[in-house]
Amino acid sequence: MNALETLRADAARLLREGRAKVVIGYRTRGKERAPVFITDASGAGSLVYDAACRQNLAAYLRKPEVRARRPAAVVASPPVMRSLVLLAAESQIGEGDVVVLAVGPPGEGGGEGVYHGALTLAETARLLKEKYALLAPRPEVLDRIKSLAAMSAEERAAFWSEALAKCTRCYACRAACPACYCTVCIVEKNVPQWISTAARPHGNYAWNLIRAFHAAGRCTGCEACEAACPQGIPLMLLNVLVAEEAAEAFGIKAGYDLDAEPLIGSWSADDEEDFIR
Amino acid sequence: MKIVDVDKLSDLAAALAAKGYRIVAPVRDGDVVRLKQWKRGDEIDLDAFTVNSVKDFLMPASEVIGRYALDGDDFAPEAVAAEAPKTVVLGVRPCDAAALAVLDAVFNWDYADAFYNARRAATTIAALACRQADEQCFCTSVGGAPDSTAGADAILRPADGGKRFIVETLSEKGEALVAAAGEVVQEGEAAADAVAEVPVRFDAAALAARLAENFESPLWQTLSLACLGCGACAYACPTCHCFDIQDEGTRRESVRLRNWDSCGFGLFTQHAGGHNPRPDQAARWRQRVMHKFLYFAERFGRLACSGCGRCARLCPAHVSMAESCAALMAARKAAKR
Repeated sequence: MNALETLRADAARLLREGRAKVVIGYRTRGKERAPVFITDASGAGSLVYDAACRQNLAAYLRKPEVRARRPAAVVASPPVMRSLVLLAAESQIGEGDVVVLAVGPPGEGGGEGVYHGALTLAETARLLKEKYALLAPRPEVLDRIKSLAAMSAEERAAFWSEALAKCTRCYACRAACPACYCTVCIVEKNVPQWISTAARPHGNYAWNLIRAFHAAGRCTGCEACEAACPQGIPLMLLNVLVAEEAAEAFGIKAGYDLDAEPLIGSWSADDEEDFIR
Repeated sequence: MKIVDVDKLSDLAAALAAKGYRIVAPVRDGDVVRLKQWKRGDEIDLDAFTVNSVKDFLMPASEVIGRYALDGDDFAPEAVAAEAPKTVVLGVRPCDAAALAVLDAVFNWDYADAFYNARRAATTIAALACRQADEQCFCTSVGGAPDSTAGADAILRPADGGKRFIVETLSEKGEALVAAAGEVVQEGEAAADAVAEVPVRFDAAALAARLAENFESPLWQTLSLACLGCGACAYACPTCHCFDIQDEGTRRESVRLRNWDSCGFGLFTQHAGGHNPRPDQAARWRQRVMHKFLYFAERFGRLACSGCGRCARLCPAHVSMAESCAALMAARKAAKR
């Protein structure tokens, strides 16, 4: 059996044996890959996985309707596996809630793809460390960050003003992100109103920067937010910049360690800054 | 007949701009094509599907509709007029043009909205018949057509294998537009190209009857499972018109804003006391479908969907209105309570 057939067989077996109440994967709809929620083993044949699967299915684990169907098996490429490990580290899911149908990145292992099996969260974290420790942002993203860094402050401000002016505040970026699981988002808090909800420069800057900041040391680089943005705003530039800061200043790379403390929810007595002590 | 060459589109825009029109046209912007204010040098891209609709220029995502000053107990409102420059939107798809009737109905229902109507009166719609459709297009399922003239002041019909357009005027605004275009639009002969074929996905009248009987259907849970609860569909939709009024300011002065809102958000129906009459995404997705195909039709005699397919094209979770409607038609009538 090839990788995809093995994945489908595992999905069917999990459902049959009651080890998963739902399998969350991708199906083909024309050129698109839409999410599919399979509850009967006979449906496992519709599962696919390829480079067109850009949605991070771990985002569904915050939906009450999906949480009610745990344990859920989730088709997960390495960035999605990292999201699952992050959610576990942040106590949003526990071992036993999720079975990870671990697939390699599209293109790995030639045309057929790679399937690593139906894994526990602990096995997923081990696989990530052993095989996918060096996941890096796409070269194009890093190149754009370099060219942004080479700009003057005025040029950079002009770049972001133009990019963020397109934001309509639909919050597709937030919806697509597994790390955005707050039941009440900061942008929805209105007593007081911290962030203007108007699709105007002031609030757009505040919203987009605070979204990236709240993902500091938590973004797993899946790019689902950027794929979700109807306006084509290059959100990964912000995410990668913040992730690089988190790695450099705190040695944090999100989604590899089940026991990791969240960057913006922890502190250390050894911190080199005085104000924290 | 009146014709304009396809390589004269920029000249057409320039000629109209010279006559005082603000030009809005589909222009490539990074990875997407959007309707935006055209400026000299921008290439007009009439082939792509834009990520936004004409709605953006009639009912913007955020609009100042009032200002007031506060000084102790004194309250001084300040009138705000709509910014409504004379505008032509070039290359509007027939689905977007047809959608304007929905906005016109709502914004002149029990109250004539000064902001919307000022912009609407100042806007000329130059539509473009579709030569190509994609798999998300479903105008023919909701009473539209790829060459419909509904809502348009003029229409460009692709001709001679895409080399030129036949220009047809449909209203006084359209005639004024062609007059303003001057010699860019010429008398000539051209053979109209075949219009796009858009398969019918569902029967809208039968769907309305099905919806009326299926408020309690368990299908809503299934259909909404993929929905992540953002506003991408509503904001991209040429007919969605829900808004939120926000006051922003200090103790001294404030602005009153009208911002887009979406029934997909849980907050849309959240009560101050904590109760939410639409407690889950199934209830919200049901509302979205019901409003477009049942409630709006009952109230205004037309559907609140023009089949543009943007919602499905832009949904981060690939939820499709046409697919939902087709699934509702396929399902058996749910047991009534």
